[in-house]
Amino acid sequence: MSEVVLKMQGIIKDFPGVRALNNVNFEARSGELLALMGENGAGKSTLMKVLSGVWPYPTYEGDIFLRGEKVRFANTKEAEAAGIGIIYQELNLIPGLSVAENIFLDRQFTDAKGRINWNQTFAETQKLLTELGINDIGPTDLVQNITVGKQQMVEIAKALSLKAEILVLDEPTSALTDKEVKDLFRIIRKLKADGVCMCYISHKMEEIEQIADRIAVLRDGQTIGEVTPIADITLDQIIARMVGRDIKDMFPKVDFTPGEVTLEVDNLSVTNPDLPGSYLVKNASFVARKGEILGISGLMGAGRTELVGGVFGAYPDQTTGDVKLNGKELDIKSPKDAIDAGIALLTEDRKALGLFLDKSISFNTTISSLETISSKVLGIINTQQERKVVKEYVDQLGVKTPSIDTVIGTLSGGNQQKVILGKWLNSRPDVFILDEPTRGIDIGAKVEIYKLLNELVQQGVTVIMISSELPEVLGMCDRILVMCEGEIVSNFERDDAKKEAIMAYATGSA
Amino acid sequence: MSADSNVAGVGVNGAKENHLINFIKDNATLIALIVLVVGLSFADDAFFTARNLSNLSRQVTIIGIIAVGMTMVILIAGIDLSVGSVVGLSAVVCTLMMQWGVPTILAVPATLLIVGVGIGLWNGFWIAKFNIPPFIITLGMLTIARGLALTLTNGSSVPVTSNVFPLIGGAYIPPMLSSIVLIACAALAVYSIFRDVQQSKAHGVEVNMQELLVNGAVMIGGFALAFHVFTSYKGIPVPVAIFAVIAFAGIYTLNSTRFGRRLYALGGNEDAARLSGINVVRTKMIVYTVISVLSALAGIILASRLNGASPNLGTMFELDAIAAVVIGGTSLAGGSGKVSGTIIGALLIGVLNNGMSLLGVVTFYQLIIKGLIIILAVWFDVMQKK
Ligand SMILES: Nc1ncnc2c1ncn2[C@@H]1O[C@H](COP(=O)(O)OP(=O)(O)OP(=O)(O)O)[C@@H](O)[C@H]1O
Ligand SMILES: [Mg+2]
Repeated sequence: MSEVVLKMQGIIKDFPGVRALNNVNFEARSGELLALMGENGAGKSTLMKVLSGVWPYPTYEGDIFLRGEKVRFANTKEAEAAGIGIIYQELNLIPGLSVAENIFLDRQFTDAKGRINWNQTFAETQKLLTELGINDIGPTDLVQNITVGKQQMVEIAKALSLKAEILVLDEPTSALTDKEVKDLFRIIRKLKADGVCMCYISHKMEEIEQIADRIAVLRDGQTIGEVTPIADITLDQIIARMVGRDIKDMFPKVDFTPGEVTLEVDNLSVTNPDLPGSYLVKNASFVARKGEILGISGLMGAGRTELVGGVFGAYPDQTTGDVKLNGKELDIKSPKDAIDAGIALLTEDRKALGLFLDKSISFNTTISSLETISSKVLGIINTQQERKVVKEYVDQLGVKTPSIDTVIGTLSGGNQQKVILGKWLNSRPDVFILDEPTRGIDIGAKVEIYKLLNELVQQGVTVIMISSELPEVLGMCDRILVMCEGEIVSNFERDDAKKEAIMAYATGSA
Repeated sequence: MSADSNVAGVGVNGAKENHLINFIKDNATLIALIVLVVGLSFADDAFFTARNLSNLSRQVTIIGIIAVGMTMVILIAGIDLSVGSVVGLSAVVCTLMMQWGVPTILAVPATLLIVGVGIGLWNGFWIAKFNIPPFIITLGMLTIARGLALTLTNGSSVPVTSNVFPLIGGAYIPPMLSSIVLIACAALAVYSIFRDVQQSKAHGVEVNMQELLVNGAVMIGGFALAFHVFTSYKGIPVPVAIFAVIAFAGIYTLNSTRFGRRLYALGGNEDAARLSGINVVRTKMIVYTVISVLSALAGIILASRLNGASPNLGTMFELDAIAAVVIGGTSLAGGSGKVSGTIIGALLIGVLNNGMSLLGVVTFYQLIIKGLIIILAVWFDVMQKK
């Protein structure tokens, strides 16, 4: 059995009003991938931030041992020097810099006089990218011009360039395409063979099955059970450890007969601002019915986000086509027009497009529906009413937080997502479009969200869900559109939808 | 899953000293202001007299009024460099109109409309519609408005002919009426705090005792001081009353209205704000219009107090206004800040100017000291965020 390289003992970490970690004990070995699982807010990211020096000693209690030696990092640099690399859950790249500059930030190759050797920096970057199987971006591309998935790959390249002995990956695949995930896993297997110890956080069970060697579960800041080899534990047992109860039905779909057509989209096109003459979405036409969940499937970059963004008025200057709601032609020039018409869009990119990070839960929940909690004339906000509304959503969605005045940026990723969900529910939409709504959400909460979608359709809301997770689309949607390269290429009824057929259309091989 | 399952006792150790440090951090500008006032009172007998303080309050109003608008602009991560020139232009336009025989009662609103709304909409239009950086647009306007003021007057001053006009900047509300107004305001303030606490309790919201006490103490102290100063020397100066109304409106707007919320959202994350249904273009246009109108008003008050307008009035006011906002704790990055902080910032600058003049500090040194204080304030703000 390989050597224990990392041991964390009795780790306790408090935030104002929250004990995020409450006596965590675990160890990881060289050449293994240890999966760290747990619900949203269980403390996974916090634990890894303690390890990587983001939370320096003595802001936590307990001991960390590297190869048996006690370490106390004062900052992330020290942890890096000790061989700990981390890929954070939230992207931390600098948008205005190139890929190479981001990867070798502060560590560029220099000559004797301290001048940066750009050739070498670019060459090393190119080597890393090639190793990762990335061939559509180059070292000099600006980070702001590449997709979120590619940015994630750049983060991974950056962590690899550190040649860390212990590599932490906090939900690295949440924005990756299938191919990128495959490439990442190939690298992970290679690193394992090289003896690197990896801590891997993910809410995706299939991934865990594929690459994890052992698994540790956190619940409410505590390790539940021993670190267990993946072969000795079933999926249901993992879930039971995570949520403290059994989940019987992953996809609690209720059958419900969809009503009349509500949303009609006709010939919608979105042009590509970076490449005049080309299209992100091309002549897309579809309808959605009252009381149905319409799924939109496809690969990342297929134009799904742009399609719904176009409907929502997110890029009025690039969008052409007609949108009708309940038979009435809409003239949507901005998201405001869409919202006023009864359409809501939960965006895919939570941090950049959804959140007001340094504002409270309450602020974030009511910002898109201030009219409902304020006077008509001067727009004076009724704070008591606001608190009541926000409390209701926090309770209904099970947001884990000390108070509704808590700054949303301090919540765990999954809990942030729940707050945004509450924000859009509060605007009481007729058509609710959700772009990757369960990304980064734990299993228990996923099921809660599915149940919520059920409730919504029963109330007559039209739900449109974009998802990259096929099981979710197959499990929850009444109808599935498949997009490929900006076009809607097929339309499956629930009963005819098969995984293989959808994939074939999505990859353009059908 | 219950919300409190994860709530455990926060480290009790060091809670007390943390409290003190946090208290000082939260109220640094206010503490600095109080220390400065106490220090100056000891340093110079002429400082803490009703007459000096009354004059001081009147001096603060000009920058104060502009700074209320500047708070909103900076809150949405913008900047307005043209305010000083707008002050000059509006002073000139208003006095010229009166010279041409337009009665004061028409000249003032006409100036607010033509200069204030006009320039504000122009600035806002380019900034909001075409996404041109506010720094550039308002820098341009800084020159344009100054040039207009110089052109209109041919470079010379305009005397005031009306005898009503000087009242705007120079008159006082009689002491008797002043005391009634002050007492009424104080009563209203106490009542509103009391009601807030009651409502919070009724809804099981925890009341922040420390904040409440500080607010209460500041209010009582403020009203007591105002009462003393204004009843023993001529009454409340009219411009101070105007400023008080504007400051209150500013605080209320940011705290308690939809519009205020949207400003915080816009400054915090513009893309998210747009996707949350906020009309970004309209909101920005309104904000730039508000600050221009307030600057125009400041120009009118200034011309009235000086009994005439020179085209160079208001030069460099943008710096004092921005300084007041920044010292008051509003972040230049947008998204966070308060009008109450700005008022304290404006008072701090005012007291500093007044005190240094009383003590006979040479004007050149005054500039240096003011600059250092601005840097100190920003440094403090940055350190605090770490
Ligand atoms: N900077 C912070 N300030 C205050 N509280 C925090 C901070 N960071 C995390 N927390 C709290 O600590 C708890 C654990 O959060 P953490 O981010 O570690 O969860 P997680 O297991 O990574 O969840 P997810 O799966 O949603 O990413 C949460 O209750 C969260 O609100
Ligand atoms: Mg996390």
